Amino acid sequence: MISLDEHGPATMVFIGSQETGCGASAGTTGLFPDLPAVQERLLHGSADKPELIDELLALIGDHDQAHALLCQKASLMVDEMLENALYAAPRGQGGQPLFSKGESRSLLPTEQIRLRYFFDGSRLALEVRDSWGSLTAAQVFAFLAMNTASADPDPERAGRGLFFMWRLLDQFYVSIRPGTETIVGGCLQLRPMADY
Amino acid sequence: MQPTFQVHYQPSHERDSFLFHGIIDAQADIHLEEMVRRATCSTVQLDFSGVGRINSMGIALLLRSIKTLRSEKQAEVQITGLNQINSMLFKMTGIFLMAREVNA
Repeated sequence: MISLDEHGPATMVFIGSQETGCGASAGTTGLFPDLPAVQERLLHGSADKPELIDELLALIGDHDQAHALLCQKASLMVDEMLENALYAAPRGQGGQPLFSKGESRSLLPTEQIRLRYFFDGSRLALEVRDSWGSLTAAQVFAFLAMNTASADPDPERAGRGLFFMWRLLDQFYVSIRPGTETIVGGCLQLRPMADY
Repeated sequence: MQPTFQVHYQPSHERDSFLFHGIIDAQADIHLEEMVRRATCSTVQLDFSGVGRINSMGIALLLRSIKTLRSEKQAEVQITGLNQINSMLFKMTGIFLMAREVNA
């Protein structure tokens, strides 16, 4: 576990990778609740994203300002997690992206993207798994560092979605089995200790 | 398929005002390019009061558009109508270094 509190309000980030040996992928299992109420959805393509986000927002509800803010954060987090799985994860033999951001796409026959979420009324847990395992721990740290230094905002900067997750989630984890699976997840509190 | 993002243009003598509606993501690309093309005044106001989610691709497109408005149109860019989360994102990504938040 690596604390990056000095760089942002995220309370914890855990990056596990069999590639670097800094934690086995099984190490993140305990970060997601193992309860019957956990919802799990398999994606068929990019067209599923709006419906899945609407489903999640309906679960949270819009009862007051705290719920409305949680809905705003949750929809952005799921959007970013699914965009990463749909467009950043799929790579060719040479490492080139297979799909352009924004293009409508169906999942490949061998590909799997799985969304899991759980809301107990005060805490929302979110997790997306893809079957590529193309992200590396070094890339995650590089993206977070690069986007933290924002004196000159660069439109083309990579890794902004992961940066948003790190800053907005109350807990954030990434688990990588190279060539097999990437898991990105975290949780949001309905009433965080300190808003910013 | 319903468009997820729309831009409404409200010209005046003082400034170009653009009212955004919907979700700002990769699909907003063509609309933001058109918005930049239409801007002619020295002040351009972008109203986000009708905007829900802005994802990282949407932020990249906004950064690109605001940079172009400033460098090619020599325009001062004003921002209004942000919700709490979008205001956080603009602060995090440096958009407020290029555009000033104003009251509508």
